[in-house]
Amino acid sequence: MGKISNIITSGLLAVACTALPAFAAEKVYVYNWTEYLPESVLQQFTKETGIEVVYSTYDSNETMYAKLKLIQKDGYDVVFPSTYFVSRMGKEGMLQPLDRAQLPNMKDLDPNLLDKNYDKGNVYSIPYMWGSTGIGVNSEMIPVASITGWQDLWKPEYKGKLLLQDDVREVFHMALKIKGYSSNSTDPKEIEDAYLLLKELMPNVLLFNSDSPRLPYLAGEVSLGMIWNGEAYMAEQENPAIRYVYPKEGANLWVDSYVIPKSARNIKNAHAFINFMMKADVAKTCVEENGYATPVLTALPLLDEAVRTNKTVFPDKEQIAAGEFQTDVGEALAIYQQYWEKLRAGN
Amino acid sequence: MKIMRTKTAVISLVSGWLLLFGVVPILMLLAASFLTQDATGFFRLPFALTSYRQLFLDPGYLEVLLRSVKLAAITTICCLAVGYPFAWFTVRRARKQRLVILILLMIPFWTNSLVRTYAIRMVLGTNGLLNKMLLAAGVIEAPLKLLYTDTAVILGLFYLMLPFMILPLYANLEKLDYRLVEAARDLGAGLMAIFRKVIVPLSIPGIFAGCIMVFVPTMGLFYVAALLGGARQLLIGNLIQQQFLNARNWPLGSATSVILILLMTVMLAGYALVMRRLASRGQRS
Repeated sequence: MGKISNIITSGLLAVACTALPAFAAEKVYVYNWTEYLPESVLQQFTKETGIEVVYSTYDSNETMYAKLKLIQKDGYDVVFPSTYFVSRMGKEGMLQPLDRAQLPNMKDLDPNLLDKNYDKGNVYSIPYMWGSTGIGVNSEMIPVASITGWQDLWKPEYKGKLLLQDDVREVFHMALKIKGYSSNSTDPKEIEDAYLLLKELMPNVLLFNSDSPRLPYLAGEVSLGMIWNGEAYMAEQENPAIRYVYPKEGANLWVDSYVIPKSARNIKNAHAFINFMMKADVAKTCVEENGYATPVLTALPLLDEAVRTNKTVFPDKEQIAAGEFQTDVGEALAIYQQYWEKLRAGN
Repeated sequence: MKIMRTKTAVISLVSGWLLLFGVVPILMLLAASFLTQDATGFFRLPFALTSYRQLFLDPGYLEVLLRSVKLAAITTICCLAVGYPFAWFTVRRARKQRLVILILLMIPFWTNSLVRTYAIRMVLGTNGLLNKMLLAAGVIEAPLKLLYTDTAVILGLFYLMLPFMILPLYANLEKLDYRLVEAARDLGAGLMAIFRKVIVPLSIPGIFAGCIMVFVPTMGLFYVAALLGGARQLLIGNLIQQQFLNARNWPLGSATSVILILLMTVMLAGYALVMRRLASRGQRS
């Protein structure tokens, strides 16, 4: 099959090349989360470097991972996994070590976000943005002051009203935190406890969101539930009544990083792309458009005062300290997944 | 000679196509369903019955299957209830009108069904088209909660699948010899009697074909439940998708697919059996 498709592709390419002799051959294949990189940044990259960006998106780490597993060669050049997938993919030999010489802009990154457990010495990954999963509230419908923690979502008055993320680790984070466990627990007993607690939450759930979580809030479908801080920030721009609450039990903190898969075909262009993304003005645009925090320190002074002091985007030290960063749970993920299916199959 | 050669070429092309894209993938699926889950790859040896044991022993999976069957059955009944009169009405029109109706029926297929599902969402939403119209007309005081309910899922499935019910029924009813209806009337049969004793028995092949064409694909339309039902409750299609993409348990996902394929095969065999019975009865009389 590979041969046939190769013949067809090369045939098409030959036609394309003769038809468009001036067509730029340099490309970089970027595979990213949906709505996570402003269009203008991609255009600016092509304008500055002449490299065309072929852009595709995914909606969960698992989907991205499964797809990369299937591609042996000539795949995506830059991908944006979360921490625990960086360590998993690194361990499984799916990633290309980064060449520091081609990434001079790395000097501007916040050292607090480098050299972490999931990738000691940043061999494979460089942080792109970091953020949190907390609680979204429409203050026109529900007084913001009445919502202080994850536990509030369990109140019977919110029956059939909540939005939860369609992500096993994020949903279990809430229950594990309420129980006082680590949200990276690998103890089957603790995971079971969390499952039993989540089972009580299920009657309150209206939907598991699989697209942008802000849209149901803006459409008036939900007034309470989980949301990413960046999505809450974007929603707030459209409807100031939508607020973001850092739950007192601790928000779920995450970092998404650039990596270059082993199957990448344009390794040099991938480095050029990552280096470009770490430029101060580019990082600034990303913060303004996405509403997540950037590790690029030189971007911070460029930001508007209102954005820099916005607690949704840049949480306080105490809020960070209360939260917990996601890490790889290894084999225990299968336990989570089993309970996750039970939650969704039952009731 | 030349015609013969073309014929052979066409037949081998078609059967080669079916072999490559139909039989081989199903065999791969079957093989994968008997393998063992692998955390880093997709599956590995040894052969095992783990996946099937999991499917049959865990009551959760059975519930998912039953829920999917129930939803598909409701959709099929709704499609039949609306599709049958619609097909009958269409058949009774003049040729030109029939053509227009059929074209109107086909036009939505030019848009991808996923896009149409999103469109339904915009109609049913709290601030959607329907609620806005009802509010403006003063029929309701507060917006109705329509989206993310079972009703929304059934409505979406009904909308997407209706043409698949109408078309086989139309093809069948079009061939129906209307003189038989006239003869029944001449012999004094009432409207109900004509419908029950003449039209329905003659259109049974169409009814069966339509029901199967609606029921079978409905079991797999996972995105309708995800988008209109809020993904709260898994259907068998969602389960398969989750096993392949999220849980990376390909053996279990394959086993679920194999069960679904078996279920459909049984239904198609039942259909063939009924058709053969009908045909032989037709010959005898």
